[in-house]
Amino acid sequence: MYGWIWRNLPGPFAVRLTLAVALVLGVVALLMFVVFPWAEPLLPFNNVTTTQ
Amino acid sequence: MGTVEHIGRGAGRISGDLGHRPPSPRPRVTEPPTVRIKLPRQFVPPKRDPVRTAVRTFGEILITLGLVVLLFVVYEVYWTDLVSAGKQRDAAAALDSQWKTKEDPQRQDHFTGLGEGDGFAKMYIPAFGADYEFTIVEGTTPASLEIGPGHYTNTAYPGEAGNFSVAGHRVGKGAPFNDINLINSCDAIVVETQNNWFVYRALPKAEEKAGWAEGKGREAQCQGVSVLGGPYADVIGQQIVTPSDGLVVAPVPGSETAPSAGEQAALMTLTTCHPRFSDKQRLIVHAVLVKQWAKDPAKPTWTPPELKETV
Repeated sequence: MYGWIWRNLPGPFAVRLTLAVALVLGVVALLMFVVFPWAEPLLPFNNVTTTQ
Repeated sequence: MGTVEHIGRGAGRISGDLGHRPPSPRPRVTEPPTVRIKLPRQFVPPKRDPVRTAVRTFGEILITLGLVVLLFVVYEVYWTDLVSAGKQRDAAAALDSQWKTKEDPQRQDHFTGLGEGDGFAKMYIPAFGADYEFTIVEGTTPASLEIGPGHYTNTAYPGEAGNFSVAGHRVGKGAPFNDINLINSCDAIVVETQNNWFVYRALPKAEEKAGWAEGKGREAQCQGVSVLGGPYADVIGQQIVTPSDGLVVAPVPGSETAPSAGEQAALMTLTTCHPRFSDKQRLIVHAVLVKQWAKDPAKPTWTPPELKETV
């Protein structure tokens, strides 16, 4: 998977490296700002109130 | 790979007198013979083996998922803390400016017209350190609790008769109630409003009730804290209940019937999840109002002595 991505990145080594780092940061941002905030309420430790 | 080298020289050398032969001017050098062996086809790894690719990709996906879970831990434990700290700062700043601008000439606290997520009081637990300070916001929705401890909307407000109840996170999002299991009986929970300081103190724990008046109840900081009687006989300083036990925030905790407002004690209740990282139960801390200090407009920086009870 990672080998395939690396082979399919265009350009010389420096450009590939920059693109790879950008890809990683993009995925991290997607997880931190979209996926995790969505998934968080489904997890147990945020329920701190008693039902009324 | 695929070559076998013969050890041509050095082996079987005989030491001894070789006579007086002069060394030969050009020593004989023989290239070691090279033998190439062609490996059978099944041992030669092909360039693209679909099985290898599949196994490797599967492994890479597992490693990736592991990294995602680690990143989620970072998100939950550090990132939400940062986000909530920012929101808490904003709420505190908004409350400070509101206290400065909207002065009541009668110096009465008003808690009307509060919207979901609006800050209206600050809480301090000196036993947790001088820097333990949180702005309490109205409401217990997830959005409100992300800002700070949230007030159960249908319960009393600070200083009022009834049960001033507040919920707070224990994991992430600033975790204001992370350590409330460590609140001992008589520990102060100080609530600051626009015009007053209210000092609540945690009630005796279940195992301390017997012999309270002769035992811990005699300590100086336990002044005003007693084993409650009448309808409050079952209210203790700390308890663990099921999530469905909504009566812990009732005017008389644990009881569906409440005496008339004039006969109600002024209590404060904290709720959070229990055990940590779980929602199986709820940890409840009950405290009772023991003192009220009216703020003196001439001394805006004055703080009550209870705030210095940092052990």
